[in-house]
Amino acid sequence: MNLTSLQLPLSELPEEPVEALTGTLPAEAAGGYFPYMWLLVALPAFGALVLLVGGKRTNAWGHLLACLLPIGSFVLACLLLAQMMGAPVEDRLVTLEMWDWTFAGMFDVPFALRLDQLSMVFVMLISGVGSLIHIYSIGYMAEDPDRRKFFAYLNLFVAAMLLLVLANNYLLLYVGWEGVGLASYLLIGFWQYKSSAAVAAKKAFVMNRVGDVGLSVAVMLMFVTFGTVTFEQVFAAAPEAGDTALNLIGLALLLAAVGKSAQFPLQAWLLDAMEGPTPVSALIHAATMVTAGVYLIVRSNAIFDLASIAVTAVLAVGIITMVAGAVIACAKDEIKKSLAGSTMSQIGYMFVAAGLGPAGYVFAIFHLLMHGMFKADLFLSAGSVMHGMKDEKNMRFYGALRKVMLVTTIAFICGFLGISGLPPFDSFFSKDDIIKAALGTNWFAGVAAIAAAGLTAFYMTRMLSMTFFGDKRWKEEADPHESPSVMTVPMLLLSVGALFGGLFFVYVGDIVGWLDPITGYQPFVLPINDTVLEIVTLVVVLTGITLAWRQYASRPVPQQPPQQVSVFTTAARNSLYDDAFNEAVFMRPGQYLTRWLVWFDNQVVDGAVRGIASKVSGAGEQVKRLQTGFARSYALLMVGGAVLIGVVFVVARWL
Amino acid sequence: MIILPLVEPPPIELPELDWLLLGPMALVLGAAVVGVMVEAFAPRSSRRTIQLVLTFGSLIGAFVLVVLAAGSGGPVMASAAVIDGPALFLQGGILLVALLAALTMAERHVDPSGDAFAARASAMPGSEDERQFTARGYLQTEVWPLFLFAVGGMMLFPASNDLLTMFVALEIMSLPLYLLAGMARRRRLLSQESALKYFLLGAFSSAFFLYGAALVYGFAGTVNLGGIADAVTAQPQMSGLLLGGIAMIAVGMLFKVAAVPFHSWAPDVYQGAPTPVTGFMAAGVKVAAFGALLRLMYVAFAGSEWDWRPAFWVIAALTFFVGSIVALVQSDIKRMLAYSSIAHAGFLLLGVIAVTPEGLAATMFYLVTYGLATVGAFGVVMLVRDDTGENTAMENWRGLGRTHPWLAGAFALFLLSFAGIPLTAGFIGKFSVFAAAAAAGEGWLVLLAVLASAIAAFFYIRVVVVMFFSDPVGDGPAVAVPSWFTRTAIAFGAAATLVLGIFPQPVLEWAAQADIFIR
Amino acid sequence: MDPGNYIILSSILFCIGALGVLLRRNAIVVFMSVELMLNAANLAFVTFARMHGNLEGQAIAFFVMIVAAAEVVVGLAIIMTIFRTRRSVSIDEPHLLRN
Repeated sequence: MNLTSLQLPLSELPEEPVEALTGTLPAEAAGGYFPYMWLLVALPAFGALVLLVGGKRTNAWGHLLACLLPIGSFVLACLLLAQMMGAPVEDRLVTLEMWDWTFAGMFDVPFALRLDQLSMVFVMLISGVGSLIHIYSIGYMAEDPDRRKFFAYLNLFVAAMLLLVLANNYLLLYVGWEGVGLASYLLIGFWQYKSSAAVAAKKAFVMNRVGDVGLSVAVMLMFVTFGTVTFEQVFAAAPEAGDTALNLIGLALLLAAVGKSAQFPLQAWLLDAMEGPTPVSALIHAATMVTAGVYLIVRSNAIFDLASIAVTAVLAVGIITMVAGAVIACAKDEIKKSLAGSTMSQIGYMFVAAGLGPAGYVFAIFHLLMHGMFKADLFLSAGSVMHGMKDEKNMRFYGALRKVMLVTTIAFICGFLGISGLPPFDSFFSKDDIIKAALGTNWFAGVAAIAAAGLTAFYMTRMLSMTFFGDKRWKEEADPHESPSVMTVPMLLLSVGALFGGLFFVYVGDIVGWLDPITGYQPFVLPINDTVLEIVTLVVVLTGITLAWRQYASRPVPQQPPQQVSVFTTAARNSLYDDAFNEAVFMRPGQYLTRWLVWFDNQVVDGAVRGIASKVSGAGEQVKRLQTGFARSYALLMVGGAVLIGVVFVVARWL
Repeated sequence: MIILPLVEPPPIELPELDWLLLGPMALVLGAAVVGVMVEAFAPRSSRRTIQLVLTFGSLIGAFVLVVLAAGSGGPVMASAAVIDGPALFLQGGILLVALLAALTMAERHVDPSGDAFAARASAMPGSEDERQFTARGYLQTEVWPLFLFAVGGMMLFPASNDLLTMFVALEIMSLPLYLLAGMARRRRLLSQESALKYFLLGAFSSAFFLYGAALVYGFAGTVNLGGIADAVTAQPQMSGLLLGGIAMIAVGMLFKVAAVPFHSWAPDVYQGAPTPVTGFMAAGVKVAAFGALLRLMYVAFAGSEWDWRPAFWVIAALTFFVGSIVALVQSDIKRMLAYSSIAHAGFLLLGVIAVTPEGLAATMFYLVTYGLATVGAFGVVMLVRDDTGENTAMENWRGLGRTHPWLAGAFALFLLSFAGIPLTAGFIGKFSVFAAAAAAGEGWLVLLAVLASAIAAFFYIRVVVVMFFSDPVGDGPAVAVPSWFTRTAIAFGAAATLVLGIFPQPVLEWAAQADIFIR
Repeated sequence: MDPGNYIILSSILFCIGALGVLLRRNAIVVFMSVELMLNAANLAFVTFARMHGNLEGQAIAFFVMIVAAAEVVVGLAIIMTIFRTRRSVSIDEPHLLRN
């Protein structure tokens, strides 16, 4: 691999960047609301600025302003969507040029926003779910002394995330990418007085940093290869670039996506990130930011279509994470960690879909959209439970909550229906599409996707029954109560999405036709009959539900006083031994795999992180020792350096 | 008695002086000379006022002249110097940095007993003399002419058109700095030690530079940079004189920019020198020395780039890795900033290695953004104090974000800019240098640099975390309330860092228009 | 006489100076060693001027002497203040500044 050979001679770089980008419509020409699309980003950014600069003066009304601004973005997004739907297909890609960054008189990077069908979907999801979660947070954070700061960070996040999906080039995307990383970091560590939160924030930072290096390397490689980083120009130039260059760029982009989306092998930070407040988990670590990796890959489809190695790597990463995440979700007792495992697994589905190439891109986005709704719903419901249970996270201390939290139960059940793949709810459409596309393209991926669907049903049923059904296993001080309506209304709205989103996008809004001009869609041939496949999948899902229900809900769990946790655990384990099938199929491998994953996480991933850190600081200590404080030893070092330069001069002459 | 025959001597031809182009330098150096006179003749009570007027007047005037001269250019002083686009751009940058540094030097509300400088540099620390001077509230005013001389040297350094002028400029810049480094009011022993080390090692390195210049003169028969370039292209075969000369000149220059392994002085001197001087030195010397290094490598030695490039690869990689890695284990803010400046020298070397107009423009932009943020950062360091002076131990900065959000916010902004986080000037600077180097075919080196800057981000963010995410220590340091001098410096630095991160275009364009050295 | 010999002499002087900086402990002697290095460079300049037949190198030597004199002033001032404080001119003694 010789990077220098990838480089275009300077003379061949385009003298003037192509002014009228092919296929894009300037926002001024598009008219209507398009020239105002910068407001999408500017409104929440303004909120963050006001709250951070205004300080304590804004305590009284800051959170209301912070809610209104994303809602404003959402309203504008709706208007834009309506206008875009009214426009003919060729006029749906609109670019708003704002100003230019010209680097060293050579690289022209427009600071421009690009709204097309793909970014429109994301803008709707981010501003819509984001607004609901802002409203929910008013209730959830009501008693937090730093509520204003929380809302400032949340606004900052929404602005950065919108910038990420609206950027028309990779450099601006990188700006948003770093911005969401920063906001996520600030919010994970928001309760910094908990040392676990500080550690989690640090871990998230380290692992995201690894991914960010991938993105900056990718941007640099694009500059070297194409001389530009604008989406249109890169995609137009991609077919002429060499195989090696494209695969390198693809792998670098994948590294970035893996870090941000918590995919194998950089998945470990997401479980720890659950230390953040629950609205953050719902918005950032479920619905939006963690899906940025999927966005990046789908957006770069022109590159991945030509990079066979990179696209295979995407598929492999997706399969591993899809299964491993589901297994983790089966074995975690903390409700949020179980949901985090589920998030990894569902994003694994999206990676699988994206790894299938043109057959799957659309479904990756479809599932992403569905996931944004049902997972946000599930997280908010879980947050509502924790809110009522004095921040108890362990499901072993829940049980029978349906009797006291009816609305939350309903919302959670809606989320459950949305994720588990039962007809006619969200995942029944989106997940089945992925399974079909996978079977039609790569049978191994298809079988893995079906198996993961069974696991999904299992862990979701487990969560549902341990939390809302069975017997009370509450701690004494727990005083479960329903949450205020400022929290339940957003939950119910998301529930509607979780129930009917799939129906809507299949029968009313044609998602495939909508995204086709951007991602391309290539129909595939299924090896088996459509209906048979659907029935098989449904049977697997129902099996998962039944097994989990038998395990966690229909057995009488003795009412245990909270201090005797170990007795309850032992009892649970004994009952596990009764059911040999359960144990053989789910529990034991699950526990082993979880244990192994935990080991892997602790020893290998953490070990690597720690190892690299200690190696690096060890090297630092070594070099530090050279800094003796004696001027003469510094002079000696300088003479050594002079000799070094001389030697390299001579060697370079010889070679 | 010998009577000389009365012969009409041939008329001495005076070189043409273009006063518009020479004006900025002449103004600053002239003000420095007047400043020396003021020290000798003006009454003590009025000296500070006169010196401040002289300093700020000449710096602002020189900056205005630089702006007026923008676009014009040519050789001056019989080709001893050349004022061209890059020279004017860098002189403008140096003057801005110097203005901010002068503001922090003029601060006297922070230290209860005066400003940052010893009342009398020659008095023994802790002696009866010193106590008396301090008790009478004497302020050191000799620092101002010294400062102006250093600024004048810095301005001449990147404009020098021959090796001799470059050597003289280097010394005009360095000699006052050696003295300024030893004048701290607090912790005199450390300050004096840093001055001694800086002086001896600096003199050592300039001897290398001079001997290298002699060897190059032996090769080319001239010290004029254009003449050297002609000789290099005329004689493509190996020449020990030329290679030895380039190597030794490089040693001298790399010492000034604090590249590894010529960096050891930097942490010690940065820590020991009075903080306003450290900021000035860290920013100004870096801008000036890189300007001169660029001119040398782009004009004189461009013809033999394949001889010196490999050595510069090694030095650059060593510099950014050692700088980033050693910074990780520092517990003192000033030392951490010193290693950070070493790492930045490594990144900047990428622009030198590129040898393209884009590389030149990118490096100049980077230099200016780095300089402004550096002066601001050291301005903040000045304010965090306890009874014995500045408190630079990192653990004492805990919780600063809670107690002093504005100050900590500004410092965080500077650190984020150093780390190259988007929407700060540092990001644009780093990105343009990396892109220029990548376009010049230095792909591998850029990859290494990206890796090093990922490591570097950790220690910057670590300080941000310490400031914002830790609880304040009980009897932690107090933050002094500065006068408008320091406030202006920090605020201007922060504003520039932010504005150049979002709307860099005008400055980038100016740099891009000034991307050719006149020979 | 071959002017090359002068170049050899000057490089020997330069090396002696550099070794002096590395080996001697007395700040004044170290400083004198640096001056020796500067003078080595001067000798080289003058010799090369002779070899090239132009006067540039000779003129440079004068400039270098002036600069060296300025350096002496600054250097002695620094060394003197340190001597007053510590009663010693050893350059190894002050090493408070280190990691």
